[in-house]
Amino acid sequence: MAALKASKKRKAVTRDVEEEEAGVFSGDELNNGDLDGALSDNAHDLSSDEDDSDSEIELVDDFSDSEDDVEELDSDEIPSDGEDEGVAKKKKSGTAVDLKEFSKDNGSSSEEEEEQLNYRIEKDANGNDRYIYDEINPDDNSDYSDIEENANTIGNIPLTFYDQYPHIGYDINGKKIMRPAKGEALDALLDSIEIPKGWTGLTDPSTGKPLELSQDELELLRKVQMNEIPEDGYNPYEPLLEWFTTEKEIMPLSAAPEPKRRFVPSKHEAKRVMKIVKAIREGRILPYKPPTEQDEEDKDLIKYDLWADEAERPDHPMHIPAPKLPPPGYEESYHPPPEYLPDNKERKAWEEADPEDREQEFLPRDFGSLRKVPGYETFVKEKFERCLDLYLAPRVRRSKLNIDPESLLPKLPSPEELKPFPTACAAVFRGHKGRVRSLAVDPTGIWLATGGDDGTVRVWELLTGRQLWSVKLADDEPVNVVRWRPGKDAVVLAAAAGDDIFLAVPPIADPETEQASLDLLDAGWGYAASKPATRAVDEEKKSTPPQWIRPSAALTDSGVCAVIPLRHIAKSISWHRRGDYFVTVCSGASTPASVAISIHTVSKHLTQYPFRRRIKGGGPPQTAHFHPSKPILFVANQRTIRAYDLSRQLLVKIVQPGARWISSFDIHPTSSTAAGGDNIIVGSYDRRLLWHDLELSQRPYKTLRYHRKAIRAVKFHPGGRYPLFADASDDGSLQIFHGNVTGDMLSNATIVPLKVLKGHKITGELGVLDIDWHPREAWCVSAGADGTCRLWM
Amino acid sequence: MDNTQSSTANSLQAAQRQVRVQLTSQQEDIALPDSTGPILVPTGLRRYALSTLVNNLLGNDKPIPFEFLINGAFLRTSIDEYLTANGISAETTLEIEYVRALIPPLHIASYEHDDWVSSVDVLSASSASSIPQGQERILSGSYDGLLRVWNTSSQVVATSPSQTEGGHASSIKAAKFVSSNSIVSAGLDRTVRLWKYSESEDGFSGKIAPQLELYGHKSGINSLDVHAPSNRILSASADHSIGFWSTRKSDAPAVPENLLPSAASRTSKRRKLNTSVSVSQRGPLALLSAHTAPVSAAIFDAKDSTVGYSTSWDHSLRTWDLVTASLVDTRTTSHSLLSLEHLPDHHLLATGTSARHITLIDPRASATTISAMTLRGHTNAVVTLARDPSSTYGLISGSHDGTCRIWDLRATKTDKGAAVGDSVYSISRKSLEEEGKANSKRVGGEGVKVFSVCWDPQVGIVSAGEDKRIQINRGDGVLSSS
Repeated sequence: MAALKASKKRKAVTRDVEEEEAGVFSGDELNNGDLDGALSDNAHDLSSDEDDSDSEIELVDDFSDSEDDVEELDSDEIPSDGEDEGVAKKKKSGTAVDLKEFSKDNGSSSEEEEEQLNYRIEKDANGNDRYIYDEINPDDNSDYSDIEENANTIGNIPLTFYDQYPHIGYDINGKKIMRPAKGEALDALLDSIEIPKGWTGLTDPSTGKPLELSQDELELLRKVQMNEIPEDGYNPYEPLLEWFTTEKEIMPLSAAPEPKRRFVPSKHEAKRVMKIVKAIREGRILPYKPPTEQDEEDKDLIKYDLWADEAERPDHPMHIPAPKLPPPGYEESYHPPPEYLPDNKERKAWEEADPEDREQEFLPRDFGSLRKVPGYETFVKEKFERCLDLYLAPRVRRSKLNIDPESLLPKLPSPEELKPFPTACAAVFRGHKGRVRSLAVDPTGIWLATGGDDGTVRVWELLTGRQLWSVKLADDEPVNVVRWRPGKDAVVLAAAAGDDIFLAVPPIADPETEQASLDLLDAGWGYAASKPATRAVDEEKKSTPPQWIRPSAALTDSGVCAVIPLRHIAKSISWHRRGDYFVTVCSGASTPASVAISIHTVSKHLTQYPFRRRIKGGGPPQTAHFHPSKPILFVANQRTIRAYDLSRQLLVKIVQPGARWISSFDIHPTSSTAAGGDNIIVGSYDRRLLWHDLELSQRPYKTLRYHRKAIRAVKFHPGGRYPLFADASDDGSLQIFHGNVTGDMLSNATIVPLKVLKGHKITGELGVLDIDWHPREAWCVSAGADGTCRLWM
Repeated sequence: MDNTQSSTANSLQAAQRQVRVQLTSQQEDIALPDSTGPILVPTGLRRYALSTLVNNLLGNDKPIPFEFLINGAFLRTSIDEYLTANGISAETTLEIEYVRALIPPLHIASYEHDDWVSSVDVLSASSASSIPQGQERILSGSYDGLLRVWNTSSQVVATSPSQTEGGHASSIKAAKFVSSNSIVSAGLDRTVRLWKYSESEDGFSGKIAPQLELYGHKSGINSLDVHAPSNRILSASADHSIGFWSTRKSDAPAVPENLLPSAASRTSKRRKLNTSVSVSQRGPLALLSAHTAPVSAAIFDAKDSTVGYSTSWDHSLRTWDLVTASLVDTRTTSHSLLSLEHLPDHHLLATGTSARHITLIDPRASATTISAMTLRGHTNAVVTLARDPSSTYGLISGSHDGTCRIWDLRATKTDKGAAVGDSVYSISRKSLEEEGKANSKRVGGEGVKVFSVCWDPQVGIVSAGEDKRIQINRGDGVLSSS
């Protein structure tokens, strides 16, 4: 406060000085300035003087003044406000002066009262009344009281009259008032004085020489003067190094915990607590729930405490005390040692494990302090379980099999180990117009025969894809199937086109074999010629077996040797392994059941219908094959495959693959020869490939659903050299499988999918129509609806 | 900017690194003196720099371009990159073998045919020394049953007579020059035919006249081999037998009657056409039958004409003593073998398989392993093989995938305990390039299958195939000679 007042006073002084200077130079404002100066200079004196006077006006004035003083003493206000106050004060004192003057000029009526008051009556030596008047104080009311000695007395004339003189007038004593120095003149004077660099005008007390300061020292002085940091390169705002607060020492000097004396209680918290305390006191907060009626009612309930009067009982066989729970270990601590804390892996394993498999029911967790430990969520459950344990209560335990599902999968050999099998397209046979419906590799493995929608049968060189022979069997009907006669002694190709079966000898063999083939086919003519008379008498039925006829001259020239007019479209030809018989199946729905399946004897040119009646159940017959070693004929209709013993003329077996519509089937070539039973693969139009072990069941041993569309053909690798089989599907792909049949009866066949061969284009919803294997190599050929055949090796 | 800088920095750094190399060559004319020890070279060097280095060391006036083999692989990067890629320390001494650089087998010419060309052979100074430079003849056998003799300016000098005039009744599968005036051919008509070849003085026209018909096979003949000095022919047939024939009428025995075409009585009208020209008919000296599947190739031993080798679809390679016509040895592989070539300097037989690779087999009885090396790269059956005339390490193969591949037996690496080679060059068919599908791959080599390849020092690499043309590629300098 005191300092503030001092600064205020100092401020007032400086202002006075300024005003005095102004007063000196400008005559116009002289009075006002003087007045101001006098007023502000000794405001207190003035007011204290006036305190003595009795006039009311003075009193009023005084009051205002005193208020000012109070304000001046007590207020903490900033100096700018103080200045304002000063101004206001001047105004007030100004008015006070005016009022006094006014009262003097016009105060004639109250003159006597004043005079009575202005004198006092004393007794003089004579004892007479003596009027002693107060001294007349001329002070303010005098016009001349304040005339300065050196005021200009030139009167009301323009100062310009003195322009050519060095003075500007005369004071009251008649002395010249000299013209005050102007700024320009001062500057000119200062300029005329040459000041040496670093001149201070001071004398060095130690040397006595003039004190000269260097530029640096001046700079230093300037900085000191400006309250700046005098030293260069000192950064007052360097980042704080928190040595003792945030830095965690590895090896602290003392590991003592933070002493409590450092605890600074929070004022805010204290406030809140006080608030709550107050609220509780006032009853706004109820710390306890008021007891409800429910609770009161509960008092009536009788509660039994099982253990209320439980006493320590001695050890006795009839009394088994409850087993004690093991004391808690480190891992149950709220702040366990770090080695008890689970790492991420353990945590994950625990979380993934079945709750029953967990070794402990909780995961050790670390909390900084006990108050941070949350409630144990399974507390109730755990206590309940403990109770159940104590009662020896039986509980249902989930029986769990600890079996690795991977181990249940059959161990299949990898395809790499099962080589060779066809993997890539080695040749494309292009030439057929329209679909290629059927194909067959000849028994020597050099040639390939194909038959297609264009009515032609073609023979190709297998390896190079060169077409060697072609014959057009029918103009407007497709060749449905081509099959070579097995055996290397003759080259005979059977082809079904339209209603007829053609037997041809392509000119690919040497003269000797060709002659043998021709002889084989020609031998039957004589036999057939001797027979028909008797047969015609025997059989008067409408299903008379057809007579074999010689082909037209053009066909004879091309190599066709015999034609069997079947009168129905044959869709399947299958040769007996000896090459003397083949079976054809006319699968058309309109074909009478009795003539659908026919067996042809090449040596006798004889055609027989072995089945008189329709096969019950399963729709019309689809395809038929001879068993590779036994005299058994397998006939497939739409849903079942029946095996007939040809020698005893008996139905041996019915196989039910479960397929809706069987498209083809094949019999494993080593069936029944290398012990074991017969194995059959069945392809169906409902996309299934089924493996049957006939010894095992009538039902399929394996069902393979790998194709997206109907399976058209299935084939085992002939000869049994490679345990391979393949299927062809309308989705344009072939699939190659490994299907190993073991000799002993105990082990089942292993079936491994090996390769999907893609390449045939799907044309008109049809993909691959037929498939055949090379007789010796692991090569296969496929006939596609896109008009090409492909060799895969 | 930064990358280039850093890479240059790297290369600078690499250039400062040095590695000790031992430069060797198996060719004596370009070998460094034995005293040359390991040389310290910067690892930043590439083939060209190394080549310059070797030329400097040899003091060659005319620099020879060299290729460098490190551990059986040609150096295609800088040494540094090679070391990094193979994880070899720069501290070790690197064994670098250098060979003469190769020139790619550029396409020279194509001779167009009417039908697939199944076989090709070249008559040049290397096979008959009387042939002057520029007078080489190329023989082609085609699926249309005709033989054609071409000169080097792609003109047909002579064509064999058609079927009616004593020619082949069916496709020709193999044809070879026996001498400059004699040709042998065989095909699907089961006969081996010997032709007399004569040229006019100017060399622009010639005549192929039937000389001898050799009967004995019961099925198509796949390949022929000729040993001219002893006038012997070997033929491999699909009837599982190998025919051993003499080119001289006087040597050859008579034909077994049942094999003559007249034996077949069917369609006598067709057969009669054949009788307009009468040619002497002879039988085989011996029919070697031990194979159980079609024989794909039969060749003479390159050094000993009394030894023959044959490969068959029955997976076996058999060695024959031709004097006694007896089987000496059988080596069974796991795939059908489709072609055969003898590499006498290495005592190896190269055989192409249906499993798309070439197996090198040591036929000697002392050899313990069947397969000495496997050359992988083809994508279809390998049906023809030929030696490099200038290098004992060179081999060319033709495959049904439509490419010929040149192999260097030195460029091998060991894979799973067996030596596996990679091809040096692959020659694709020009016909594909002309169709603008040079890089396209035909499924199953459709339309571009190579059926025959022949490598002649004068003419080059001659290959024939399903694209109905003979394709000639530059053959000299393709492989480094030794």
